[in-house]
This record gives sequence, structure tokens and C-alpha cells, in this order.
Amino acid sequence: MQREAKKLKVGIFDFTDCEGCQVKLVSLRERLLALLERVEIVNWRLGQEKNRMDRFDLVLIEGCPITQDEIDLLKLLRERSTHLIGFGTCATMGGIPAIMDQKERAKWYNKIYGPQYKPRGIDSLPLTSYVKVDFLIHGCPVDENEIVRVMEELLSGKKPAYRGYSVCFQCKLAGNPCRLINGKPCLGPVTQGGCGAICVSGGSPCYGCFGIRDTAQIEGLLDILKGMADKEEIERYFTMFLRYTKEYNEIVRPFMERENG
Amino acid sequence: MKNLYAPIRARVTRIEELSENVRLFRFKKDRGRFAKNHGGLTFIPGQFVMAGVWGYGESPIGILSSPYEDSFMEILVRKVGVVTNALHRLNVGDEMTIRGPYGNGFPISSFEGKDVVMVSGGCGIPPIAALIEYIIQKRERFGRVYLLYGAATPEDILARKRLDTWGRHINILLTVDHPSPEWKGHVGLVSEMVKDIEINPLNAVATMCGPGPMMTALERILRPLGISDRRIYVSLERKMQCGIGKCQHCVTGDSYVCIDGPVYNFDEIDKNWD
Amino acid sequence: MIKNYKMEPVIERNSIPSLLKILSSDYSIIAPQERNGEVVFDDLKDPECLVLGYKVTILPPKKYLFPPEEILFTYSGKGVRTPSITSKKLLIFGLSLRDLEAITQLDEIMSTPHPDYFYWKRRSRSILVGVTDESVHAPPGGDLILERMDDELYRAIPLTQAGKKIVKGRFFKKQDILPHKGEGNQVMEELRKLLLDPETLAEAVKWSRAEGHPVWEELGKRCIGCGICTYVCPICHCFSMENSVSLDGSTCTRCRKWDACTLPGFARIAGGYDHHPSQKKRYYNWYYHKFVRGYKEYGKSQCVACGRCQTYCPARIDIEKELLGIVKDYREACG
Ligand SMILES: Cc1cc2nc3c(=O)[nH]c(=O)nc-3n(C[C@H](O)[C@H](O)[C@H](O)COP(=O)(O)OP(=O)(O)OC[C@H]3O[C@@H](n4cnc5c(N)ncnc54)[C@H](O)[C@@H]3O)c2cc1C
Ligand code: SF4
Ligand code: SF4
Ligand code: SF4
Ligand code: SF4
Ligand code: SF4
Ligand code: FES
Repeated sequence: MQREAKKLKVGIFDFTDCEGCQVKLVSLRERLLALLERVEIVNWRLGQEKNRMDRFDLVLIEGCPITQDEIDLLKLLRERSTHLIGFGTCATMGGIPAIMDQKERAKWYNKIYGPQYKPRGIDSLPLTSYVKVDFLIHGCPVDENEIVRVMEELLSGKKPAYRGYSVCFQCKLAGNPCRLINGKPCLGPVTQGGCGAICVSGGSPCYGCFGIRDTAQIEGLLDILKGMADKEEIERYFTMFLRYTKEYNEIVRPFMERENG
Repeated sequence: MKNLYAPIRARVTRIEELSENVRLFRFKKDRGRFAKNHGGLTFIPGQFVMAGVWGYGESPIGILSSPYEDSFMEILVRKVGVVTNALHRLNVGDEMTIRGPYGNGFPISSFEGKDVVMVSGGCGIPPIAALIEYIIQKRERFGRVYLLYGAATPEDILARKRLDTWGRHINILLTVDHPSPEWKGHVGLVSEMVKDIEINPLNAVATMCGPGPMMTALERILRPLGISDRRIYVSLERKMQCGIGKCQHCVTGDSYVCIDGPVYNFDEIDKNWD
Repeated sequence: MIKNYKMEPVIERNSIPSLLKILSSDYSIIAPQERNGEVVFDDLKDPECLVLGYKVTILPPKKYLFPPEEILFTYSGKGVRTPSITSKKLLIFGLSLRDLEAITQLDEIMSTPHPDYFYWKRRSRSILVGVTDESVHAPPGGDLILERMDDELYRAIPLTQAGKKIVKGRFFKKQDILPHKGEGNQVMEELRKLLLDPETLAEAVKWSRAEGHPVWEELGKRCIGCGICTYVCPICHCFSMENSVSLDGSTCTRCRKWDACTLPGFARIAGGYDHHPSQKKRYYNWYYHKFVRGYKEYGKSQCVACGRCQTYCPARIDIEKELLGIVKDYREACG
């Protein structure tokens, strides 16, 4: 058995988001305490009072960098950390803050605050739009067991791995009727598993908050979705969380354009 | 009934750094010696062990040491992923895990009385190393024996010391692509050394190893020498998880590389469609 | 075959819940029940919730013998520990004939080349009771089969000592059995016929690849590689290993988890080289294992035509239709 002799220096930061993922971290309870035995938390606004800006072995970032201050902090953290990890879908893919697109946003600002209002937010893009990120713990919110798994891998010196299976694995274990078979859209088959298929079990579709999985057969899914939803609806599904993924831009958009033309 | 998935403990007794990414590990069982099969060998050359580190998993690795040795085994590990990195972090005295030996190994008794040509490159040396140790131990039972070994540079030639020892018993033809100033040997392709080989092709067997150069070895060396596909043996590599014919990862065509292989007769290889 | 007018043990439909209640003192009872409009095997808490005469369950009962995830050993400095499987004995009730047949196949697979410790730990502590609307000619496996005679009555066919012991209980009585014709199973009847000649199936599937049959290109495009067909198949049994070191660094665990050859990474080795580089190749392997390698290893196809992969594939791929097409083309091409 191998153990890292010295404690990892960890920082936990949050940008624009709902802090729900940090709540998940706290709700690890005993497992969080076990984790704290192995790491030294150097900076955690939500979790402790005395915080420092040292060098970090590991930085977890929750939320989407929206203001210039947040973007600058992100770049600084990247410089000062060995592993920088996105924590939750807002950080990994833009998440909730990125759902609304820029044009719509401007319209609503105008409507709500009037033409004089100068928004502080620049854009709502995932961390990867600004810096290199070592691993993405997807999830809206993140799953407790997945946090533990990734932490175990990091602490034991492994390169964390993404799940190779789809949401459908746990969806079938849960005994859910399949939405696609019943003519209702679902992104489960192209989404990384590990979330427990909670949305489908709860009666909602999967919108892909766990990120697109390795070698997902997206065109095949689009062919299926085409038979049950119109273009706008399919767009809506893929832009909920996946708007800033490579796959959305390289596969979904061209596919929709072809379908139109 | 036994839990065949649980490995036994072994202890690292020696580590040699052969290149930046390749290390040789010698290990012994925590208790007792390695069991011998009815041929008096601890394994059949060409077999592999599932070598691992607690909590990190295990990987199939060919056994390098002599099959007559029962107090230790040796493996050569190239650092490529989770398990091999974990192995590289071990120090002498640390614990590692072992299951096996597994796989079929070379049909060694059918090699007796014949000339043997072994073509290798890079990390392809482990399965042949054990075969050479075996041949040397019973040298008089084999005809002319050749090892053709090509590496990129002299530094990439693995286990130099061992090659020197072997060279007293069998013919070793070494070649490098990029010589260093001190290099006195052959420079160029392995296939250019064919002219130095004298065998009776009708009474010879051959083995090929190493990843890429297999087809070249075949086209440029073994076929020109006149050795038929039926008497050429290759060691295949497939993803493995269980090593005992259950998990389905290592399949190729109709067979399991972990139990029916890794050594295949070359004229059967086209059946391994994947 | 049933002899005419023979005294045989029978049980009334109405007595089945009471029978299960009694058996539940010795066994954990697993039985088909309804959840969200689907029938699933689950712990039977209330015997009145038992569903009989269902068409198919999402997951087959294999999950009780070969769980989706199970620990193979833990290691904690002190030594290796194999988890002990000591829970109450299982009684899986209400299996269809095809699910019984699938477990008979799994028994063989899990014995070859070596017995699988974990499968057999569970299997040897389990009792299988089939319930069917079909007439039972050759019982495909299990300890006891209840064959439906009419709405009220089931004939009991005990097959093992354990089955005989259950039939000795007070809910069974002896009665003359009139010859009767069961309902027949309407699921995948055509595939069922193909399975009677596994050799032709094997040859046809092999031929279809060698000849570059266009069906593989097409299915490779349609299959979204979700893995569902594997999870729901009562015979698929491949797995991968997951290794972890606990958060406090004290315990190492190796766990095996269901895998599926339609998923990427199944045949990918370190460095990224993939022996099944396309969805087409991955999907073909699914057929190749079941119908070619399976036949070579065990002399039969690894399929019992349960209908699950057809029913639950989101891409609506119908293995029966595809195999019929392949076999037809093979016969035309090769006589
Ligand atoms: C019969 C045989 C003999 C081999 N002999 C040697 C040897 O002597 N020296 C050596 O350095 N390497 C050898 N290899 C290759 C070695 O097994 C892989 O490099 C190793 O498994 C990579 O494991 P990893 O955990 O570091 O990589 P990861 O990419 O993290 O792989 C994770 C797991 O996938 C499986 N896997 C990945 N790549 C391979 C692969 N190429 N072959 C089989 N399973 C794989 C293993 O179970 C591994 O633990 C051999 C492979 C086979 C099949
Ligand atoms: S409902 Fe969605 S996640 Fe569940 S099985 Fe169907 S496609 Fe997969
Ligand atoms: S079901 Fe889909 S949207 Fe819901 S948590 Fe899982 S991955 Fe996210
Ligand atoms: S269920 Fe259908 S789409 Fe999913 S892997 Fe199987 S064949 Fe492909
Ligand atoms: S019909 Fe499909 S799910 Fe059922 S046994 Fe055959 S292959 Fe498996
Ligand atoms: S057919 Fe594929 S998924 Fe099923 S057991 Fe075989 S390898 Fe696994
Ligand atoms: S490695 Fe599992 S079957 Fe060969």
C-alpha cells in the first residue's frame, strides 16, 4: 500500500453558482473528516475562517467564472496549483449560469434593470475556456460517491479516470422505464454515468450534467431524438448543460444545420 | 472453492532501472517458494503473471527469469498507466501482488532437437528471456539457436549483462538504429542480419515478439529463411482484467489470450480477427 | 411428457402468497413485482404484490447471483479478506422458463474453466422456482416449476430435493391432471427456432463479417453503445475490475463491475490502441460472443430469446429480425 507521506495542500474556491456542490462536499460527513485527516485545507471560504493564498497541491473550483475578478483569480489559482479540478457542472461546463445565451441575457438585463445597467458579468463560460484544467468532476450537483472516488484516486497518486459507462447503466439498475422507448427525449445514453440516474428516477429527463462520455455515439442518439422531438426541443436539451462542449459544437450543431438545410 | 481473484503477497527484493521507463523487478513469495509443475519448472516460458499493487490493480506481465528458479521471479515493467506507475513507485522490501502464472507458454518440448530463431525488439524480450534461460539449461537438446535483437540506441538494449551471459551459449545478433560512438556492433535493420544466420529451415522453429516489427520480422527474416508459418510462434497482447478466462476483455476471434494464448501459432493468427 | 391422468402435486393460485409467507422464514424471497408500470424482480415484502403471468422483467434475475458490483477482496496491511456471503438463503420465485434456462447456462459458464467463487457462493445458497403459463416438456432448470393449469390451479414439477421439500408442504395437494395445452410463449418465436440450430447461427454470424455484410455497417451507426442490451441480458456476464484505496489510506478494495462490450474501452489497452475501434466492431463482438464463441465453447448460443434486448434497446435494434436476415442471406449465399 502506498501513502502520500505529507498532507496535500488543498484550496476550495467558489465562483458564481448556487454553492450546492459544496453542500454535497459537507454532506460527506464522516468521509469528509477522513479526507481532512489526509489533507490540509489552506483556503475554503465556506468552511473555515483563516484562509491563505499559498501554493496548492490541489484546487477545487466550484462555479462559473463570470466577473473579471473571478477570471483573474482563476488564472492565479492555475499558476499556483499542481492539480486544478472543476467541481460541479457550473465549473466544468458553464452549468446553470450558462444556460441562458448572451443575446437573451442582454434583453433581460434591459427589461429588468433598464438600459443604463452595466452588468458585471462578462460571459458564463466553463473553467476550461480560460485555463487548463486537470480533471472535471461533473454533476449538478456533484455526486457524493463520485467526489470520494476522485479524491481516493488523487490521494493515492492515480490519475483520476472518467466513467466509461452511460447513465443508462444505473437507470436500468433502478428499474426505470426508458424514456426514449416511450417517445420522450433523454440524453442518458451519451452522458457519463455515476450520478445514479437520479433525474430519470425522479421523473425528469437526463440533460447530461455529468458530461459527455468517452466516445459517445451522439449522431445515433440524434437520429433517435429526431423521431420524437422538433429541432428546438433537441437544441434545448443539448444546450441545457452541453452548450460549451466540443461535441455540441462539432457534432450536434452541424447535424441540426444539416437537418434544416 | 477458491477465490481465484485474490492475489498472493510477494515482496520486491531487487529493482534495476533499465531505462527511464523500464524497470526490472525481482520478487519472492512472502512464504515459501514458487511451486514447480510436473516438468520441474516454476512456469512455462511465454507465460505471464498478473503483477499488481494493492489498491491499484494488476497487469499481465511476462516472466523474465529462469523457469528453473523457484526462489524468485523477475519481470520487466514499462511504465504506461495506473498499475505500471504504481509498480514503479515501489522500493525494495515493499509488497506487491501476484497471481499466476497464467497462459499457455511456448510449446517448449516441441522445440527440442530443432534450430531456434528468436526475433525481438524493445520490451518484447521478457517472454523470450525465459525461453533462452530454458534453452541454455538444456543446451545440448537444441540445435543452432539465434536471438535477433534490434533497439533504437545502445542504451535501449535491455538487460545487457544478461545478453553477455547468454552470448556464451547461443548466437546473439544485436543491432541499433542510432549508434553511440562506442558502439562496435551492427547498425541498421534486424532484417539485414539474416545473412548471418545458418539454420536448417525444415527443422527450425521461430518466435516473434515486440509490438510493431512483427510483420517486418516475418516478411524480411523468417520467410526468407524458409521457416513455415506453422512453426512460427507469436505472443499476442490484449486487454486483460481477470487472467482466468472469465471477464471477456482479452478475446480474439474464438479464443482467450489469457488462457489459450498469449502464444499463438502464426498460421492460426488470421483466425484472431480482432 | 405428462402421462394421462396421473396424480400430481398441485397448488391453488390463492395459496401461493401464503406459501411464500411461510417460506420467507427460511429464505429471502425475490419475486416479480410492478414498479412504475414495469415488472422487476425485487425483495418481496408483501406476497400479495407478486405478479405472475408477466411478459418480461427489465433486469433478469442474474443480478442476485452476479451482482452489478461486488467486492472481490479487501486488503488492510494485515492481509487479504474475501467478503463472506452469509445473508439468508435466496428463493427466487416466478422465473420464466427462459430465465431458468439462462441460469442453467450461467451455471455452466461460471464453472468453466474454474468455478467462480462469488457466483457459486450465491448460487449454492439459492432456490429457483419457475412459474409459467406454457406447458413444460423439458424443464430447463431450477428446483421447482409451477405450471399454470387454469386461473386457479398450478401443477408443481419438483426437480431437486429442495423442490421436493417445498412440494411436501401443506399448500400442495395431489390431484389428477388432465392433459392440457399451455399458452405457448409468444416472445421471439422465430429466434427461438433459430436457436435450435446454433451451428447455423454461428456459421451465419461468422460469414456475415467475413463477407462484409452491410448489416454491420448499419447497426454500427444505429447502436448508441448505451450498454442496455448487456445489462438486461440474462446471460451476458463480462466484467471489469475497479481498484481503490480508501480515503483514510487504510483499506484497498478490488471490486468487479458489470461491463459491456458495446462500451468504448472494453478492448482498449494502455497507450490508447483499441482492438475494437468502432461501434460497428464493438457491436459485432456482442453477436460474435453469443453466437460464435459461445457455440464453440458450450455447443449452444448464449441467448435464450427472452426478448429483453429487443424490448429495452433505445435504438430499437431487434436482434431477432437482424439474425433472421443474416441467416436468410447466409442460406441463400451458401446453400
Ligand atoms: C501476455 C502479456 C504480456 C505482457 N508482458 C509485458 C511485460 O513483460 N512488460 C511490460 O511492461 N508490459 C507487458 N504487457 C503489457 C502490460 O500488461 C500493460 O502495459 C499494462 O497492463 C498496462 O497497465 P497499466 O495499469 O499501467 O495501464 P492502464 O492503461 O492504466 O490500464 C489499466 C488496466 O487495463 C489493462 N491493460 C491495459 N493495457 C494492457 C495491455 N497492453 N495488455 C493487457 N492488459 C492491459 C490492465 O488490466 C491494466 O491494469 C503484457 C501484456 C500481455 C497481454
Ligand atoms: S431513460 Fe434515459 S438514461 Fe434511462 S435508460 Fe432510457 S435513455 Fe438511458
Ligand atoms: S440523470 Fe443526467 S442530468 Fe440528471 S444527474 Fe444524471 S447526468 Fe445529470
Ligand atoms: S441497447 Fe441498443 S443501442 Fe444500446 S448498446 Fe445495445 S444495441 Fe446498442
Ligand atoms: S434475447 Fe437478447 S437479452 Fe434475451 S437472452 Fe437473447 S441476447 Fe440476451
Ligand atoms: S456479448 Fe459482450 S456484453 Fe455480453 S457477455 Fe459477451 S462480451 Fe459481455
Ligand atoms: S483476461 Fe479475463 S477473460 Fe482473459
